[in-house]
Amino acid sequence: MNTTTLDTAPTTEKRPAPQLMLCEGNEAAALGVALARPDMVAVYPITPQTSLVEKLAKLIADGRMDADIVDAEGEHSVLSVLQGGALAGARTYTATCGPGLAFMFEPYFRTSGMRLPLVMTIVTRDGITPQSVWGGHQDAMTVREAGWIQMYCETVQEVLDTTVMAFRLAEHHDVMLPVNVCLDGNYLSYGTSRIEMPDQAEVDDFMGHKDVNWHVALDPLRPMAVDPLTGGSGGNGPETFVRYRRGQCAGMKNALHVITEMHEDWARRFGEAHRFAPLVEEYRLDDAEYAIMTLGSMTGAAKDAVDEARAAGEKVGLIKIKTFSPFPVEALQHALRGVRALGVVDRSVNFRWNCGPMFQETLGVLYRLGRQVPAQSFIGGLAGADLTVTTFHRVIDETRALLERAPSDEPVWLNAKD
Amino acid sequence: MGQAYSTIAFDPAKCDGCGKCMTACASVKFDSTDTTRSLIQIVRSGGARIEPPRPGEFELALCRQCADPKCVTVCPAGALGKNGTTGVIDWDASKCVDCLLCTIGCTYAGIALDEHSGRVSKCDTCEGKPACVPACPTGALRHITTARIYNEVGSWEDLFAPGLAGCQGCNTELLMRHALRRVGPDTVLATPPGCVPGMGSVGFNGTTGTKVPVFHPLLTNTASMLAGVKRQYERVGRKVTAMAIAGDGGASDVGFQSLSGAAERGERILFMVVDNEGYMNTGMQRSSCTPYGAWTSTTPIGAHGRGKTQDAKNLPMIMVNHRCEYVATASTAYMEDLYEKLDKALAASERGFAYLHVYSPCTTGWRFQSALNIEVARKAVESNFVTLWEYTPEAGLHFTRPVDKPLPVADYLKAMGRFRHLSPEQVEHIQNKVAENLRFVRKIAEQADEQ
Repeated sequence: MNTTTLDTAPTTEKRPAPQLMLCEGNEAAALGVALARPDMVAVYPITPQTSLVEKLAKLIADGRMDADIVDAEGEHSVLSVLQGGALAGARTYTATCGPGLAFMFEPYFRTSGMRLPLVMTIVTRDGITPQSVWGGHQDAMTVREAGWIQMYCETVQEVLDTTVMAFRLAEHHDVMLPVNVCLDGNYLSYGTSRIEMPDQAEVDDFMGHKDVNWHVALDPLRPMAVDPLTGGSGGNGPETFVRYRRGQCAGMKNALHVITEMHEDWARRFGEAHRFAPLVEEYRLDDAEYAIMTLGSMTGAAKDAVDEARAAGEKVGLIKIKTFSPFPVEALQHALRGVRALGVVDRSVNFRWNCGPMFQETLGVLYRLGRQVPAQSFIGGLAGADLTVTTFHRVIDETRALLERAPSDEPVWLNAKD
Repeated sequence: MGQAYSTIAFDPAKCDGCGKCMTACASVKFDSTDTTRSLIQIVRSGGARIEPPRPGEFELALCRQCADPKCVTVCPAGALGKNGTTGVIDWDASKCVDCLLCTIGCTYAGIALDEHSGRVSKCDTCEGKPACVPACPTGALRHITTARIYNEVGSWEDLFAPGLAGCQGCNTELLMRHALRRVGPDTVLATPPGCVPGMGSVGFNGTTGTKVPVFHPLLTNTASMLAGVKRQYERVGRKVTAMAIAGDGGASDVGFQSLSGAAERGERILFMVVDNEGYMNTGMQRSSCTPYGAWTSTTPIGAHGRGKTQDAKNLPMIMVNHRCEYVATASTAYMEDLYEKLDKALAASERGFAYLHVYSPCTTGWRFQSALNIEVARKAVESNFVTLWEYTPEAGLHFTRPVDKPLPVADYLKAMGRFRHLSPEQVEHIQNKVAENLRFVRKIAEQADEQ
């Protein structure tokens, strides 16, 4: 389905005519990786990520991408190889999901502590058990306390664009954190759309110089001990440890404005087809009495439902979270400024609060608003279940009802039989 | 570090007392056929007088060119002195007052009165080319340099900080320092959790214990992280050695997947395992390299417990089955053997995966006196509990120090407290396992010989 090549010469001086092509989300991610010119990719196949790494392998085999590809024996090694590569100065990339992400958790947690600017796509997949190879956000949500930046995509174009931007974001000196680009398994991974390919020369200019290991390196020319033992109750151990953690939090906080500036720069360079809300998208929210909140590919159907409800006279809007980690507290606070009832749709479960994770995170923002906003958690789309326009009409209806009555302590299970 | 020098080594098992060395010496030194003037004297031991004499009954009287020479100490005239360049004890005729005190000071009859001249005479090694050695028809005399480790290696920089916090008598520190001296400064060193970083190689709280770039990988991902490091330097055209000094637990248990994966992919890594047969740094827990019957803190001795109930995993043989570029076993009791293997492993690590498995007894965890570490390591080899060999895909597997007349394994086991509780049946099990292991490795070595 790929009808063009990466390296077609620009057709005009100012901005080349967009190269249009059809591709699935996994392929778009691979093309985005190629545009960012990593030195090293490490791969281990897992459904529904597989076609992404197959595409990468083919791009490299065809000489369209100059990167060392490591076919590691498992996800744990995938991430470990890349950590070694990054410490030696390589720009690095991989992709995984679900059980693969669980298996790599040990090096995963460590990546942000070492401040290594790795980029990893999570082609989101629900958690097992029960056994399932289908989409859901449980994998990415489960690791949200590990210090990685996580951005969720809505469309195939957004997958491609966000993938490229993720490399510059990760390597930004004020950030220096690993980045997950999350794209929904099944719906985005295999969903085919028309996309516009950004121009490689312009992407090169956008990316600037690679700067991976200026702060921590394994290099005989500047020998250092990476990760000496810290902590304990004596000496400067605890202070050292705290300095690491505070640094990670500062990088997270800085990421909010870096992400915002980067999305603006990207849209300015590549045009309106490449403009995406960096942190939080406000959709038909200006005079909305109530709103629904979404994440990832479900947003398309949700927007259709909102449009239809609007046409029927409902004052409903939509809030889409793009950047989940760091949580965009201020941007969400702004979006919620006029909202009097809120329905939050999650594709995963927060077992501790008996609700969705995004709902639970949002409660903190509602507290900061300083006024009571009734909010309801909806959980749907688990294990690949479809969230349709009809589903979102139900979400809209039940959220509107909160204007009249208190929300339930229980989540609404959207794909349940009852 | 002081110098050490070449020496004339004597193997009594090969000497049949023919006296050709003495003839050669007398001829070269005095132009004489009188072998009593020879500076090397082969004498028959006291005791048995069965004719004809048999090998093993002869002893050597020859100047040992001692490092701490008593002849020099006792000389009142300053006529004897150790030559700093050659290592020979030089005798200065012009200063000698012929008191003969030196002949009493020497334990080896290495300096004696030459009745023809009326003065003392002693071996000067013929300026480094002793005439006696080529004259020996049986190979009982050899002029050997045992000193490479001290002379050549001693001049290389020790790339670890002084004062690593190893247990008293630990051979792992010895091994680490020697290995990194050899591998050199253009190295990235991985030391996964265990004794090696535990003694401070990666440092504490922002310090470092190593002069090359060093890091703590996870216990599980040493080979993978090194693979990434090495690949990136190859990509940018820089020659950097990627080396691991890992414990047996991290290699054979939880880190085995990444080790196996890296070996299968032929990652260009020098992977050295320090096998002290357990998780010693955390208090002596069992690993899959712990031998049968051994006490560890997780295989304790009690009303039901009799130590580990399984045999050790033979990790180096598993690595042979990965067809690595180089695989060898080594022991801290045989440093020359270890050095040769280190050289080969280092060279092989530029072509593919090189794996070096070094047995390093743990004074603390194996329960023996810290002064006996080398002794314990040597007994392991002499009893075939540990076999020393090397493997390459081209040449197959070969023993580097075959042991023809092994000690009973019980002699080795008795050297350590961790085996104190063993029943005769357990000892027999271990002896049988040693024999089985040996047969297994020998078979592979024989196949290599047939090729």
